Amino acid sequence: MDEWWSKVRCVLGLRRGLDHDLGEEMRAHLDFMIEENIARGMPPDEAKVAARRHFGNLTRVRELANEAWQFPQVETILQDIRYGLRSIRRSPSFSLIVILTLALGIGANTAIFSVVYSVLLRPLPYPAGERLVWLGESTPKAPGFSVTWINFQHWRNENDAFENMAAFANADLTLTGRREAVLMHAGVVTSSFFQMTGARPLLGRLFNESDNLPGAAPTVVVTPEFWQNALGGDPGALGSSVTLNGKGYQIIGILRPGLKFFVRPVDFYLPLGLSTSSTVNRSEHGSMHVLGLLKPGITLTQARTNLDSIMQRLALSDPGPEDDHRAYGTYLAEERTAEIRPTLIVLMGAVGLVLIIACANVASLLLVRNTARAREMAIRIAIGAGRARLARQLLTENLVIAALGAGLGLVLADWCLRTLVLIEPRNIPRLSEARLDLPVLLFGAAVTILVGLFTGVAPAFTAGRVDLTVSLKEGSGGLGVGRRGQVFRSGLVIAEIAITLVLAFASGLLVRSLIAAQTTYPGFDSQHLLALELQLPPSRYKTDENSRQYYDQLMQRLRSEHGVEGVGAVMCPPGAGDCGDWWYSILENPAPARKDVPVSLFNIADTSYFGAMHMRLLAGRGFSAMDRPNGALVTVVNEALARNWWADPRLAVGHHLKVGGPYVDGPMLEIVGVVANVSQMGLDGEPMPEFYYPFSQHPSTAMVVMIRSRSDPEALMPMARHHLSAIDRNVPIQSLRTVDQWLGTTLARRRFSTMLLGLFTALAMVLAAVGIYGVLNYWVSSRQKEIAIRLAVGAQPSAILRWAGWQAARLLALGVGLGVFGSWGASRWLKSLVFGVSARNPGMMLAAGAAVMGIAALAASVPLIRATRVDPVRNLHDA
Amino acid sequence: MSTVDDQRQRLEFLQGTLEVLILRSLQAAPNHAYGISQFLEKQSDNEFLVDNGSLYPALQRLLQRKWIAAQWKTSPNGRRANYYRLTTLGRRQLVAAKSKWLRFVEAMGRILAPEG
Repeated sequence: MDEWWSKVRCVLGLRRGLDHDLGEEMRAHLDFMIEENIARGMPPDEAKVAARRHFGNLTRVRELANEAWQFPQVETILQDIRYGLRSIRRSPSFSLIVILTLALGIGANTAIFSVVYSVLLRPLPYPAGERLVWLGESTPKAPGFSVTWINFQHWRNENDAFENMAAFANADLTLTGRREAVLMHAGVVTSSFFQMTGARPLLGRLFNESDNLPGAAPTVVVTPEFWQNALGGDPGALGSSVTLNGKGYQIIGILRPGLKFFVRPVDFYLPLGLSTSSTVNRSEHGSMHVLGLLKPGITLTQARTNLDSIMQRLALSDPGPEDDHRAYGTYLAEERTAEIRPTLIVLMGAVGLVLIIACANVASLLLVRNTARAREMAIRIAIGAGRARLARQLLTENLVIAALGAGLGLVLADWCLRTLVLIEPRNIPRLSEARLDLPVLLFGAAVTILVGLFTGVAPAFTAGRVDLTVSLKEGSGGLGVGRRGQVFRSGLVIAEIAITLVLAFASGLLVRSLIAAQTTYPGFDSQHLLALELQLPPSRYKTDENSRQYYDQLMQRLRSEHGVEGVGAVMCPPGAGDCGDWWYSILENPAPARKDVPVSLFNIADTSYFGAMHMRLLAGRGFSAMDRPNGALVTVVNEALARNWWADPRLAVGHHLKVGGPYVDGPMLEIVGVVANVSQMGLDGEPMPEFYYPFSQHPSTAMVVMIRSRSDPEALMPMARHHLSAIDRNVPIQSLRTVDQWLGTTLARRRFSTMLLGLFTALAMVLAAVGIYGVLNYWVSSRQKEIAIRLAVGAQPSAILRWAGWQAARLLALGVGLGVFGSWGASRWLKSLVFGVSARNPGMMLAAGAAVMGIAALAASVPLIRATRVDPVRNLHDA
Repeated sequence: MSTVDDQRQRLEFLQGTLEVLILRSLQAAPNHAYGISQFLEKQSDNEFLVDNGSLYPALQRLLQRKWIAAQWKTSPNGRRANYYRLTTLGRRQLVAAKSKWLRFVEAMGRILAPEG
């Protein structure tokens, strides 16, 4: 250990005087011997020579003694590294191009990998997060919807597959009693939720079983953020009470920071047992889902089978309308990322392809340089350098260059990552946690080493075969490796063109999809429209009549404003997604089999909504004052629903829609009108069946009031706020924004991925252009004499152009051919990301091919023109 | 005395023996590199030839292990030389190594002697 340690100190430069001391010591040694020789009667000169001879090789002894202080392997590596750095300094522009190319490739890869790692791969931040599963109920038609309280109780008590189980739901509650009314988000959970997510209290305690019993005193556990912001961080807040939806909840605990389970951040947690709607009816659904912790060694399939058998037993012991329901389960980590996974895989693939192009360019550049260095290599071999040793040195040089590229790449990646997090669409889970941490750095290092090896192996391979006699002859430098090198480089260019084509095709498809989504007619006029999202606090608006009165009064006031053209209210505006769906059937049509009952979105609209939105009415009428609360129940359906049953959607009018389908209780509604589809699931969503309840017959406390303005809708915002607080200042505004903004955010993720892929494609195109230029340019250079001779014997420049152009065209044709194959293969991965166009799109293939050929032609034109300008006289003279 | 011109077949050092022998040569008093090689050749009746290419690296290794220490001093005949001396650690090491080697030699002898 001491030995090793002193070596390290020595390598670190703490051994200044040693070499000098050794020299002196050996001189003293020699002097002793000379003295002794003289004492034995030798003449001084002879004594000196004899002593020298006896001592042996002075320098060698000194080297050996020095080596005792070194790590010889390390020293040669250091030597190679020093040599590599020197050769980088010798050709700065070459090195800069190589390092920049690698930095782009490695940087982009590291940045995207850190996103992939953070979103898809990093273990969930819960104890045994890899065994957590997300559970729901399912039917053959609808996998993974909410679980009923009764079913949950049975699952929890009767399963043998789970160590623990918790139920959770979201709720919005209005906080009053502290200045203005504020809408708050709550996680509603059973007590084991905290154990399973590893949450611990900072102050007080978390829920226990008794808090969760129906009828228990209302309690709340608050997040540290809520405690700081709403309660001023006062430890005395523990035990005090907050008013939520008009009801007092006692604060029993304050959480430690760091629990992030719900995708939308929550302010506090409430016990689920209190609010559960039904403890009797097994088929009464809320929005509750279940979190399960698998026992070690149990697979998801086993667990699901176990829950299914419980459901089958229940169907016998407690029969009801939902006897065909089964359990649905997926790993929590997958449930969270299922939607974003294809996007990230495509991006990671794209960025990997960019890296391959970068490597191909660098390999080809290094090959050129090694050709230029063939004489140097030949001399080294001639004076006794081993081929393995030379190859090792070349590899080290490449690794040095790759490491420099990686260093710069990391800086780049860090910057990219900051930008990515800034522009991310806010709905990619855990993206904001992406940073350059250890696993990401390890990935970067692995990529760098691979790049160093890949870019180094080919040139090193050819360098090992330098033909001494050819290379050492004056004037023929480089020809020994030229032919083999040219074939290799042509192969690289073909690969670059193919990869670029794949990327161009993919990003072209995404851009087309984005344009298609952006220009989709959303089914209504989204301009000059303001959306005011409200939720009435249930404590003050207990009855349907209260809500009706409030919204009537608000809309009346808004309508009377000068700049307002129309006002309408809806529960779930276009782009808001699925606010609720349910089974339904058409009374006049044959009843579907139990497992074939269709599902439709449902929505609530008031009498003026369709008019204010400028939605097209295909048949019948919209809602009107005739639809009284206690009158005949009516509905308006959308075109997609009507087309499910009738070839002509207008035929729907007059038929009856049975809510819940034939097998579940629900009201019967007369279809009085058919309206056009709107982009309910966002601009890039497919139209889904939807039916509307009239607000008068189906009031709701949560509505979005749509205000159509005559001019700039944002100018109406202060007016809207004024009216709101004039009517009741205890009603919080959930959101107030223009509908264009609202719809725009539904495309945020698509814009994000399209932009990234476009960026990578641009990068690939630039790199490929550089590669093509480099290879052809080198080809022309190495054939200058041949061209000169052709010109001298009478070839026209146009013939030279044809001959050189043929070389370029061959590479291009092969590359494009391969690229078409690749794109066709890649379209399988793109299917889920494409909207409004087909993933196997020949038009897009043509466009991408044309773009790549255009770029390639541009890059090739410079060397080709150079070929025609070769001066035969000067060239042949020099030879 | 011995020179490389000597045609007589010398013994080579077994792996790890040189270091023990160096320690032994310093047991009585500090010495310089030439003195150590002289001592070893004399004590072995010129059976061992001390190659400087082995001696110097071995000295460096012993220094690294802190078994010996070096100091520039003037020799009795007025020359400056780098004198090595045993450290406490080295002395302890020598005792251990000596008994190990003696046992080793005895065992070797017992096996080889009946034939020889």
